[in-house]
Amino acid sequence: MFGKGLIKGLQITWKEFWAQKLTVQYPDEQHPVPERFHGRFILDVDKCIACSLCANACPNKVITIKKQKVGKKQFMTDYIMNIQYCLFCGLCVESCNKDALHFSQDFNMNQYFYRDLPLVLVQREAPAEPVDEEAPAAKAGDDKKAKAKPKPKAKTDKPAEPAADSEVAAGKAPDKEGQ
Amino acid sequence: MLENLFVGIADWLRSLLGGLGTPGEINEAIVMLAKLVAILVFILVNALWLVYMERKVAAYMQARIGPNRVGPKGLLQTTADIGKLISKEIVIPKKADVVVFLLAPVLIFVPTLMVFAVIPFGKNMAAIDMNIGVFYLLAIASLSTLFFWMGGWASNSKYSLIGSMRVVAQMVSYELPLVLGLLGVVMIVGSLKMSDIIAAQEHTWFIFTQPIAFLIYFIAAVAETNRTPFDLVEGESEIIAGPYTEYGGMAFAMFFLAEYANIMVICAMATIMFLGGWHAPFGLDFIPSWVWFFLKMYILIFIVMQFRWTYPRIRVDQLMGFGWKVLVPLALANIFITGIGMKIYQAIGW
Amino acid sequence: MLRTQEYFLNFGPQHPSTHGVFQIILTLDGERIVKAEPVCGYLHRGIEKLAESRTYTQVIPYTDRMDYLAAMLQNLGYVQAVEKMMGIEVPERAEYLRVISGELSRLTSHVLATGVYALDIGGFTGFLLCFREREKMMDLLEELTGSRMTLSYARIGGVADDAPEGWLDKLDKLMDEMPGYIEEYNGLITGNEIFQARTKFVGQLKPETAVNYSLSGPVLRASGVNYDLRKAKPYGIYDRFDFEVPLGENGDCFDRFYCRVLEMEQSVKIIKQAIEQIKEVDGPVMAKVPKVLKPPKGEVYHEIETSKGIIGYYVVSDGSNKPYRVHVRRPSFINLGYLDEMLKGYLIADVVAILGSIDIVLGEVDC
Repeated sequence: MFGKGLIKGLQITWKEFWAQKLTVQYPDEQHPVPERFHGRFILDVDKCIACSLCANACPNKVITIKKQKVGKKQFMTDYIMNIQYCLFCGLCVESCNKDALHFSQDFNMNQYFYRDLPLVLVQREAPAEPVDEEAPAAKAGDDKKAKAKPKPKAKTDKPAEPAADSEVAAGKAPDKEGQ
Repeated sequence: MLENLFVGIADWLRSLLGGLGTPGEINEAIVMLAKLVAILVFILVNALWLVYMERKVAAYMQARIGPNRVGPKGLLQTTADIGKLISKEIVIPKKADVVVFLLAPVLIFVPTLMVFAVIPFGKNMAAIDMNIGVFYLLAIASLSTLFFWMGGWASNSKYSLIGSMRVVAQMVSYELPLVLGLLGVVMIVGSLKMSDIIAAQEHTWFIFTQPIAFLIYFIAAVAETNRTPFDLVEGESEIIAGPYTEYGGMAFAMFFLAEYANIMVICAMATIMFLGGWHAPFGLDFIPSWVWFFLKMYILIFIVMQFRWTYPRIRVDQLMGFGWKVLVPLALANIFITGIGMKIYQAIGW
Repeated sequence: MLRTQEYFLNFGPQHPSTHGVFQIILTLDGERIVKAEPVCGYLHRGIEKLAESRTYTQVIPYTDRMDYLAAMLQNLGYVQAVEKMMGIEVPERAEYLRVISGELSRLTSHVLATGVYALDIGGFTGFLLCFREREKMMDLLEELTGSRMTLSYARIGGVADDAPEGWLDKLDKLMDEMPGYIEEYNGLITGNEIFQARTKFVGQLKPETAVNYSLSGPVLRASGVNYDLRKAKPYGIYDRFDFEVPLGENGDCFDRFYCRVLEMEQSVKIIKQAIEQIKEVDGPVMAKVPKVLKPPKGEVYHEIETSKGIIGYYVVSDGSNKPYRVHVRRPSFINLGYLDEMLKGYLIADVVAILGSIDIVLGEVDC
């Protein structure tokens, strides 16, 4: 009979009218963010050896790493991500052999000014002369890091292992080839 | 006490003015003016409230909660929106016909406001109880077509043009079943006066004696106000916003509020003609008559809103076909049957 | 006789129902279409060219950005093409995860197509009710991959990560609820007489025409051509699942729409089977692949069935770590090929109905 579908539709909307509402009122309540969420990056400076694997794994050349030779060791002075170009694909995190780079669950990366957009994970001066202990340098790095990210680190260990097993094909393109 | 609240206020005003010693005619004019202003304020506030209601109804049917930030439960949301829209610039397209373009949103409210003068909101609560009330209402209400057309034509945009052509086609062709649907009721009552029509429904509402007429009227009325499933005029997925495409700011808001005022008109009309106006059902007289009137009206408005949030839009040729091939013949048949029925009743001698 | 005149109407690129930035230049006689000229390219980003300067793995995130509604299926097509070229065996568990996430992607895409089609026809509630379920699926995808839409989940040789604890049970529960939701869509959208009046016998497509124009996906199957790559040339492990290929009869807008609704039911069926079967499969989710991928010289063409149709990846290798050329046969783009002929003689309202029923994604059309 003509009109059956019309009445069925009214029944459904009437039922929905009384059904539970699903709105999450954002600033007051938050939708749960899963563990694997691709949010703001966190760099564990102590673990990082500035090998540039992540920078090479990135499809969009988001990561800029600056190194300086201090004594025999390479000392990382800058680790800056041009986050406005980031695809959040996770290839850099997967490529990290030392498990130093992570995603956090923080998705709020808005900035008022364009110049503030790049995510500065490390920016520090290289120590003037080689030091035997890493301690002062690492400490300085920690300070800077805390300055760059006001939010405390959510968690450092990666949830799932297989990707970190570095079986991954990601990255490690030869350095010479037009990077 | 509550029953005669508004009538009492009018009487009080009249006696107050009587005490001042001014001539009686002037007093009557002042009372009339006060009534009209009251209705005007009522309509505008109601239009705001209806926008809020529509948003809430829509949200609740879509598993959302709707506006709830501005004011208690979001009640001031529309007020805030209007405040924002007033502050916005009205952009006038370069090649628009400026005078007509600006005149259309100003005039769009006029027919709606004029119509409300004859609507009885409760017992003895019509501003003017005209003896051609129904006729006046239909004649004035159909004027709004003109202003939609003005807005669409003056915008000088193709989408607006298509939209306003649709307005004219749709409103003209649905005016006919609308009037023919009401004719059945008018035939039974034998009067065009609203109070007579309501008085005739004291025992039986006309929705029971004229169900087909009600159906025809309601469908045609939904089409008259350009509501889904007949909202081809706006048809946002086809022609952006039809005649209002080029309007912004308060000019747009006027069209928008007029739509809700129009819904109020058609639902009030349906209440008067078919649902017994302000008569209380089941002898529940202790609730004031005007509360009943508004209750019935808002139930109808809710149904119109539920239509909008349930049904998709029909196509322009289907719209015309439905109007001329289904509704008009059905309405004519209804008039014919009503006429025969009346004759039979008279013959039996009821 | 009045002198009448045809006029042009720019339907898009900024129009609410072209599903993005698609333009159709319509020549109209009143509301009837005399001529339609589709214009695409407003969202062109040169993904094929970008792929040439990326390593094989780095191309994966770019494939997401083509059909961002079913990103996993785009990933899968590319990844399988490279695997075919290099002869990599994918671990069993990874294959199952690919099927599960792929079908979930297909579901999100079809749910969106259903809802958006309701919106195109004018029913707003159907749209948001479809989004309600889509959100639930996207939450699950987010839990699995970390992203909601651009998943980048497939890797050459497997998938990025194993399913988290309890994820499969959650998915199973949602899939149990899905038939109820689909019934709701059918009640609200499919069964509605106005909807049927708008879509039935509109934009009919003959099976021969559909084959001749190389159309694919639900657009082809709605015309009654039984060609689903998952059945016709099973890739991955699709031969292990029991499902049907829904077909239409008239090849009109309604059939194209309804095919998708029926396909949702089949996807649910596949996911449920896959969940059953994956429980018995354990092991790694990545094959042993070298860190630097250098496929042998040569070329490969691989095609899979996405939610929009057949997506084909043509990858040419010159032996280096970067593809020499990646070409994508994008189903949305090819399905649009017959649009101008299809629109002729219909009304403006039907343009929306026909375009919506093809279910295009502009990211894929313009690539």
